[in-house]
Amino acid sequence: MTALSAEELLKRKTLKVGVETVSNQQSTDFPGHWPGESHEWDLEHFKQNARVEFVKEVSPLDITFSLVGVDTSFANALRRILIAEVPTLAIEDVFIYQNTSIIQDEVLAHRLGLIPLRGNRDAIRWMKWYQKDEDVPDHEPKNDENCVRLSLNIECKWKEGGLERAKQGVTDPNELYENHSVYARDMSFEPWERQTEKFGEDPVRSSHPDILIAKMRPGQQIELLMHAYKGIGQDHAKFSPVATATYRLMPTIDILRPIVGADAKKFARCFPKGVIRLDKVSAEDEQSHPEECAGKEGELKAVVDDPSGDSVSRECLRHPEFAKKVKLGRLRDHFIFKVESTGQFDSDELFLESVRLLKVKAARIKRGLEAVDR
Amino acid sequence: MSGYTTSGAQQPSTGAAADASTIDIHSRAVSYTCGDCDGDVQLKRGEPIRCRNCGHRVLYKKRTNRMVQFEAR
Repeated sequence: MTALSAEELLKRKTLKVGVETVSNQQSTDFPGHWPGESHEWDLEHFKQNARVEFVKEVSPLDITFSLVGVDTSFANALRRILIAEVPTLAIEDVFIYQNTSIIQDEVLAHRLGLIPLRGNRDAIRWMKWYQKDEDVPDHEPKNDENCVRLSLNIECKWKEGGLERAKQGVTDPNELYENHSVYARDMSFEPWERQTEKFGEDPVRSSHPDILIAKMRPGQQIELLMHAYKGIGQDHAKFSPVATATYRLMPTIDILRPIVGADAKKFARCFPKGVIRLDKVSAEDEQSHPEECAGKEGELKAVVDDPSGDSVSRECLRHPEFAKKVKLGRLRDHFIFKVESTGQFDSDELFLESVRLLKVKAARIKRGLEAVDR
Repeated sequence: MSGYTTSGAQQPSTGAAADASTIDIHSRAVSYTCGDCDGDVQLKRGEPIRCRNCGHRVLYKKRTNRMVQFEAR
C-alpha cells in the first residue's frame, strides 16, 4: 500500500458543507473501496491515530473533549453506552404510608424515581444488582449490598401567627406555612448494616437538593419509604448517568481569498464569538494577494481562530461577497464530545466507564465467535 | 340523621381492610375531619355525625395509614 499524501487524506475525511447540501459524508476507509489500498482494521494503526484531547472543562459534571482518529461507529457506540448502559442508582420502589398532598401517589412515585442521586462513589460501585424477578435462579433478597433505603417524612403546618396573617390578607406561603414546598433535600438516607460504614460522611442524597417534589398546605403530609437499586438507562431513563452525552464533528473553515476591511468585521459576525479573529494585513499579504490587499496594510483581516466553536450555521455563505472566498466543512474523524453528568459520577469517570463497558461487550462477542468456530 | 351511625359508617373505606372488622369495633373511635372548621372529630359507634366544635354535619373520612407500594416508573 502506497503512502497517501496528507492532503489526499484530509480531502477524504472532510465533509463539504455547501449552501444547501452536505456531501462526502460516507466514510471510505474500509476494505474494497479504494483500489490497491487495504484499509483493513489494524490495531497498530488504531493505536497511532486514536487520541483524546481535552478542550475545556466547564465543571467536573460538564465536560467537552475531542475524540480524534476513530470511526463514527466507535464514537457512537461510546455515546450510546454512556446514555443507556452505564449503571447508576435510582429510586425504584416507593412505599407510601400517607400522602394527603394534592399530588397523586403514582405521580409522586414517578417524580421521586426521576430524582438524580449521589453518594460515596466507591460505595455505589461496590453495590450489586437487585433482581426484581424472584423466580430467577440464585435470586438475592434485598440486602445492604443491593438496596439503598431512603425516607421522606414531612408535614405542612401553619407558622406561628400564620392564620392571623392570612386573615389580614397576606398570601405569601413563606410567611404563612412551614414545609409548604417539599424539596429533594428533605429525603433522608436510612443506611443499614455495612452501608453506614461504606457511605460514611457521603450519604446517598439528591445531587440537586433544590428539586421541587410537591407543594403542600397546612394539614397535608407525606410519609413514605423508598428503595433505590442499581439499574441501566436501557431499562428506564432515570438510571441514565448523563443528562446528555452528545458529539458533533469538528467544523473546518478555509478562507480561500483574504477578507479585509469592513468585510472582515461582517465576516466575523457571521460566526459565533471566538471563531474568527481580526488581524492586521501584513506586507506579505499585500505581495501574495495583491488583488484584495494592495495598499491596505494595517487594515483588519479575518483569520480563523477556533473553528471548534462554530455552529455551522452557514450564515457566511448567504452573502455573495463571501460565498466564493470561504469553504466550510467538517472532519469526519474528529468528534467533539459533550458529556453532562447528572451528578452521581464525574463526566470523565463516565467516559472511562463507557470504554470499559465497550471492552466487555467486545470480549463477549469474541467468546461467542470462538464458540461458533468450535 | 342518627340513622346513618350504623355499622355502615364504620366500615373501612378501602374495602380491602378486612382485619379491622375482627377488632372490637364498639369501643374504637374513628377520626374524621370536619367539612367546615377543618378540625379533628373523634366518633364512636352510635354517636351522631356532628362536629363537636362547630356543629357542622358533613365530616370527611381520613386516608388510612395502610402502606401502598408503587413502582417509580
